Amino acid sequence: MMHLLPPLPVAGPLAVAALLLATSRLLPARVPDTVALLTVLLATAACVAMAVGTAATPLTYWFGGWTPRDGLVLGVGFVVDQPGAALAAFIGLLFAATLVFAWGYYDEVHAHFHVLMLLFLAGMIGFCLTHDLFNLFVWFELISVAAFALTGYQLRQSALEAALNFTVVNTLGSYLMLAGIGLLYARIGALDFTGLGRGVAAHPGDVVVAAAFTLLASGLLIKGAQVPFHFWLADAHAVAPSPVSVVFSGAMVALGVFGVGRLTWTVFADSLPVHAVVHALLLGLGCASAVVGGLMALAQRHLKRLLAFSTISHTGILLAGLALLRQDATAGMLAYLVGHGLVKAALFMLAGILLALCGAIDEITLRGQGRALWPVGIAFGAGGLLLAGLPFGILQHGLGLIDAAAHAEGRGWVGPVLTVGTALTGAAVLRAGGRIFLNLGPDPGFESRAPTEADREKADRPLWLMLAPPAVMLLAAVVSGGPAAGFAMRAAGQAMQPDSAHILGGPSLPPTPFPAEPPGTGLAWISVAVAIALAGLLLMRHRLPRRALALNDRVSDAVVGSMARLHTGRIGDYVTWMVFGLALFVVSFVLT
Amino acid sequence: MIALLPWLVAVWLFGIGLYGIVTSRNFVHLIGCLSVVQASTYVLLLAVGYRGGAGAPIFYTHPPGTPAVDPVVQALVLTDIVIGAAVTALLLALALQLHKRRGTLDPDELRPLHR
Repeated sequence: MMHLLPPLPVAGPLAVAALLLATSRLLPARVPDTVALLTVLLATAACVAMAVGTAATPLTYWFGGWTPRDGLVLGVGFVVDQPGAALAAFIGLLFAATLVFAWGYYDEVHAHFHVLMLLFLAGMIGFCLTHDLFNLFVWFELISVAAFALTGYQLRQSALEAALNFTVVNTLGSYLMLAGIGLLYARIGALDFTGLGRGVAAHPGDVVVAAAFTLLASGLLIKGAQVPFHFWLADAHAVAPSPVSVVFSGAMVALGVFGVGRLTWTVFADSLPVHAVVHALLLGLGCASAVVGGLMALAQRHLKRLLAFSTISHTGILLAGLALLRQDATAGMLAYLVGHGLVKAALFMLAGILLALCGAIDEITLRGQGRALWPVGIAFGAGGLLLAGLPFGILQHGLGLIDAAAHAEGRGWVGPVLTVGTALTGAAVLRAGGRIFLNLGPDPGFESRAPTEADREKADRPLWLMLAPPAVMLLAAVVSGGPAAGFAMRAAGQAMQPDSAHILGGPSLPPTPFPAEPPGTGLAWISVAVAIALAGLLLMRHRLPRRALALNDRVSDAVVGSMARLHTGRIGDYVTWMVFGLALFVVSFVLT
Repeated sequence: MIALLPWLVAVWLFGIGLYGIVTSRNFVHLIGCLSVVQASTYVLLLAVGYRGGAGAPIFYTHPPGTPAVDPVVQALVLTDIVIGAAVTALLLALALQLHKRRGTLDPDELRPLHR
């Protein structure tokens, strides 16, 4: 029975999406909501069953019965391992929460939202489960096209402009990936991960393999919104409908980094030059993203744009965890991925509640307007503190594991740099929360010069229905610390040493032992303290003496203002930065 | 030298496509440049699968074992064309809507959010 499960969580949502689209004009109002939610829950249940059932050995499924003959892979297969299935299950839960949050939000559009969401989900689950590089690309494209449509289909003016930027930059990313796949196929003549891994092991220092990795990793890092490929993300998140932003930030961006990991662990497992570049360049890019995202988040006044930059910062932490290439760091990355997904999705939903009930999304316009919505304020503050690194729950376990692994690698600076990112994003969220819910901060600083826009979303949903999903997710992020970290450790072991003996055979990275003691909380408390102090300073700047205020303005303009000016919103600049990122890969391959 | 030509063409198309996107002053032109970048992936993939002196990978009239070009990359190119058509259509639709609302298609004047 179990061996028939793998295609279901992908095929089910695809089939239901087609049916919904065909019958959308005939169905009464609440039917698409119900059908979509049930489909998502069933797909999630299948993924959970697979995550439980693959603890010992992965589950293999060959489409059309094209099993390998004499060690030669002919067909396209899903190889479901525990990390892939668990990630797919998490994404399914996130979609279910989003559909509850968006209940009745899209009456006027004839189920198009639900159809696109189901396609989006199918793409993400397929991305997690597949074992074939070209198939991975197809799911990647399905994710992208669903995301483009979800961003722009409301046809508001800003949404159109951002959707254009988003589509052009991400389509370029797809073409980079496809070129990388072509190069690998030219050199190796295979497309499944195991065959590619063997081929790469036979040509470890090959220039074509290095070029293929550069193209594949750049394509995925565009989706993962890492510096210097990150520019599209803030524009797209800011204008997408709130339920869509929830899924973008909670799942789609993190999948880009997970994809880089998947390729590094399988296809490029035996290529030392690639590992050296991952170790050096991707670690650097991750740390840079953590800090740049944090600074940019601080410089925003559009609440969803602020949260989008904080997503860049936290995804940088994921990339840094991945780049350490150790089992404990990978476990930290997987735990952090889930924790960040929960907290960030909750914060986007809370921003959506403000947009629906207060009719604005601009932090300065909203000042004091949230006081009547105190439960939303409590959840918002809790989310901000968790992002800042409050040492309870899964986020702290993840970051602690990454920090400990970096120390063991002799790169003790990684933990403090990533903490700068968490402190800055935490400060940004807490400043916004203080202004909106506590009526603080009458005199805005540099954030008042940030781009913004008046926006509205449908307001006729009850508060409890909108508030329940984020509250549950924040609670889950707090209580699921220890067990989730243990699970992530086992899953990381499986991810990094794909037990491919049952497919074709082949060893991989050596295991690293589980750290003996739980991660320390010293750095976490410092991060929280800095975040609160910084938010306080920004909200209380009208109390500062005149000289201190002038100094504050000069420093903040030098640090934040110069960086904000780079984010022009002009597509040509974004593509120039992308080319710069490609050049970085080339330089680091030459140097290492 | 002749063997290298398709690879050079692919790199050239990729480069001029990106240059066009970076310097474009009209979204329709920009979308065209995106298609040029995509064409570079077609050339690359077809070059990957090319075998000198081989025919099309259709064995209806030829016996199996006749030299043929690699059908896998041709399937990849076909998928690529389909995706490219979908994305180009979506982009042109977005550009059309944008032109209706703003009356311009210059990327320098169109930026998300008020700045």
